[in-house]
Amino acid sequence: MNFSTLLALSVVICLVGLALRLYVWFSQGIHPPTSSLSLGDRISAGLQSTSKVLFGGGIVTIIKSFFSDLLFQQRIIQKSALRWAAHTLIFTGFILLLLMHGMETVISQKLFTGYESTLNPYLFLRNLFGLMVLAGVGIAVYRRITLKPKRLKSYPSDWAALIFVGGIILSGMLLEGSRISSYTIFQGMVEEYGAFDEDETLALEAFWVAENGLVSPNISGPINQEQIEMGREANGSSCIECHAANSSAFASFTLKGITRPFAWILGDSAAVSFFTFLHAAFCLAFLAWLPFSKMFHVVAAPVSLLVNSILGKENGTPANLLNRQMVGLSACTHCGSCSLECSSSMFFESFNNDFILPSEKVQFLKKLAAGKDIDRATKKRLQEGLYVCTSCDRCTDICPSGINLKEIFVSARYALLADGTPEKTLLSHFSFPLALAQRYTGDHLKALKAVEEVFRKTLQKLTDLTLPLSLSRSKEMVNQSYKSCYSCQRCTNICPVVRSYDNPIEALDMLPHQLIYSIGIGNTEVAMGAKMIWSCSTCYLCQEHCPNQVELTDIFYTLKNKALKKIDSGENS
Amino acid sequence: MKYAFFQGCNIPVRIQQYALATEAVLNKFGVELQVMRDFNCCGYPMRNVDEKSYILPSVRNLAVAEKAGLDIMVICNCCFQSLKKAASIMAKNPELAAELNGMLAKEGLRYTGATTIKHYLTVLHTDIGIAAIKEKLVYRFKGLNSAVIHGCHLLRPREIMGFDDSFVPKITEDLMAVAGATSLDWLGRLECCGAALAGFNDELSIRLLNEKISGAKAAGAQYITPICSYCHLQFDTAQVNSLKDESAAEPFPVLLYPQLLGLCLGIDAASLGLAQNQTITSQHISNLTALLGPPVEEKKSRKKAKATS
Repeated sequence: MNFSTLLALSVVICLVGLALRLYVWFSQGIHPPTSSLSLGDRISAGLQSTSKVLFGGGIVTIIKSFFSDLLFQQRIIQKSALRWAAHTLIFTGFILLLLMHGMETVISQKLFTGYESTLNPYLFLRNLFGLMVLAGVGIAVYRRITLKPKRLKSYPSDWAALIFVGGIILSGMLLEGSRISSYTIFQGMVEEYGAFDEDETLALEAFWVAENGLVSPNISGPINQEQIEMGREANGSSCIECHAANSSAFASFTLKGITRPFAWILGDSAAVSFFTFLHAAFCLAFLAWLPFSKMFHVVAAPVSLLVNSILGKENGTPANLLNRQMVGLSACTHCGSCSLECSSSMFFESFNNDFILPSEKVQFLKKLAAGKDIDRATKKRLQEGLYVCTSCDRCTDICPSGINLKEIFVSARYALLADGTPEKTLLSHFSFPLALAQRYTGDHLKALKAVEEVFRKTLQKLTDLTLPLSLSRSKEMVNQSYKSCYSCQRCTNICPVVRSYDNPIEALDMLPHQLIYSIGIGNTEVAMGAKMIWSCSTCYLCQEHCPNQVELTDIFYTLKNKALKKIDSGENS
Repeated sequence: MKYAFFQGCNIPVRIQQYALATEAVLNKFGVELQVMRDFNCCGYPMRNVDEKSYILPSVRNLAVAEKAGLDIMVICNCCFQSLKKAASIMAKNPELAAELNGMLAKEGLRYTGATTIKHYLTVLHTDIGIAAIKEKLVYRFKGLNSAVIHGCHLLRPREIMGFDDSFVPKITEDLMAVAGATSLDWLGRLECCGAALAGFNDELSIRLLNEKISGAKAAGAQYITPICSYCHLQFDTAQVNSLKDESAAEPFPVLLYPQLLGLCLGIDAASLGLAQNQTITSQHISNLTALLGPPVEEKKSRKKAKATS
């Protein structure tokens, strides 16, 4: 198979891949199972709002965003100069190489009169752009390694992307290096372009060996300076017009030595073929792999950023909300910026659940959006990860691809909760911002009911007891202050929650002093099951007013922790 | 004076005006506030679930400040309590302290107790001082009655917080008085806004909130001044949400303390983010500016003060 067939094949794979990814944009989504929108609805909603933006004054914002977000990458530079440098070097270098070198027959030759890949500035620029990409890849590797302790996760696919990009450039430089030093290539050029007598050919060869990096089987040891000067003259009259000095291809010129062992083993011309094959293989494989990998972000991230410039954190219509989710999920490069700044990062350290980190959630949520089967244990961990979130929106603000992470996470929470697994961290202050935002209020209440049900099943209430309460030894209460309670009931009398109800015992199961009393007689179980602890407003008035320094509020926190642990262990057994 | 500015998670995204106004006011007194991007959640939201997971994030924040060689200034009460609690546990429980520091070690962080934690009201009241504030006043309120709600976690538990007398707090009284505002003696002053229950016991949460609003109204307050960011969100957002179905009902307006003091320091309403309070209308803003008078205390009250002294 020749190069054109292989090229055509990888282009076809790439196009099929792109089509599949675009289909996913309009066919998948994360939402509670209640909503259903057809592919047609989704596409027409997308087209409608796009045309509305383009013809309705949004165009200025789009153009501004194109320059600042897409080309200049301002979202990255605001957070990390190093990462900006890496991305800009790779992005600029690669695009310029693609246009100038990869597509030279359609762009450079048409655009620049007298374009020759062997002439300056092109010869030099090719190396400069290549070096830019390599430097960017180097910074990216450095970043991935040094930020590991700060919870930056790297997958094999992340390394694969860097290897592909770096491989394309490095193989290209080696190819150029092998050609620079190749005697076969030199001979071919002399035959094609030169009209020299034998002396001139020898002198030219001497000059190319001395100054242009050629390795000739005819020349070894020191070369006669006079011969070099003669060669320079021949070079000046016949070659220089189309071929600048090889040293301007500074990177390849430096690397050419590496290719020599290949030439010794494979033979001079086979070595050139080998590097040609290697370079082509890297390029074509990358092209075919692109739509199936995180490199698809070259398509999705610009779209996501432009949408973000118009919508910000707004959600748009239900159909477009899903469209944006899917564009967003496909725009994620797993750069980990969100996880580095995640306010919940320390909870990740405590819980050891990768899903607490936003970058890991996003990656996995693609599976949820695709409707793939997720096993119960993973689902539970994902749910916990989605819940242990302070709603600080830092991830959304920082995302270099402009993904509305906040919306995706909230939708995912309720999509999973609707599935029926009760989430105990609902009973925490993580729920406060959710209550304020008032999205999915119905689903939220339903989820709370499910948690209540788990409580009822796991923990006994005072009213469930058939035998009289008996005295036993208290165990496992670290806070011993309950022992000083002398039942004056001041705690209950001052409690703002107790006074909120006409019949507090019915609403709260047990009152503050009764909770302390039950711990005192060794029955923490019944205290753990009382609604009072979950109705405690944590105002600390009881603790502050207790004449005997019983630390009631702190003890209630302990009871809450214990109750949730008990539910956990019940679920895991 | 320079502090690491701890804003928590709610303020930067839901109450930017609190940070804005605080910075504007403290700038007037040459206090430099450094926003630390490396700070994470204080841990508070985890407290119902697991005590150790609640403590660890605050220990890291303390370690981050310690590494920067700064003390922390907090504006959110719940963050304030978490940080204080963490510092006290680190001092009292060496075993746990070693374990938590061990978890931070891989990031090159360690908390030895070098960083102290201050509430912004303490910075104003003690570090800057009432006399210095008085000197900088451009205006003083005349006839402004506000109901201060301290927020529970600012004052209690007193052994941990050590902020002020937890039964008879004086700091807010002095700070309100210097601005010429009357801090009303009302029932909800030291009580709970209901925020800690929001999201899983909304009914009770709103009941506690409404009890505070009617209490403030009954006491004759024109505004309510929450110190805590959670209280602010209850009054400024949850209140508005709960009135959604009653189109005629006007929400009770919320005025943050740095906004109130800022006006007296001659800072304009926009720089204090007054309009960002959902419950504040342009009418409120013009009412407030109309209440600004010259920065001298009234003679009558001076005489009284002399007579009693």
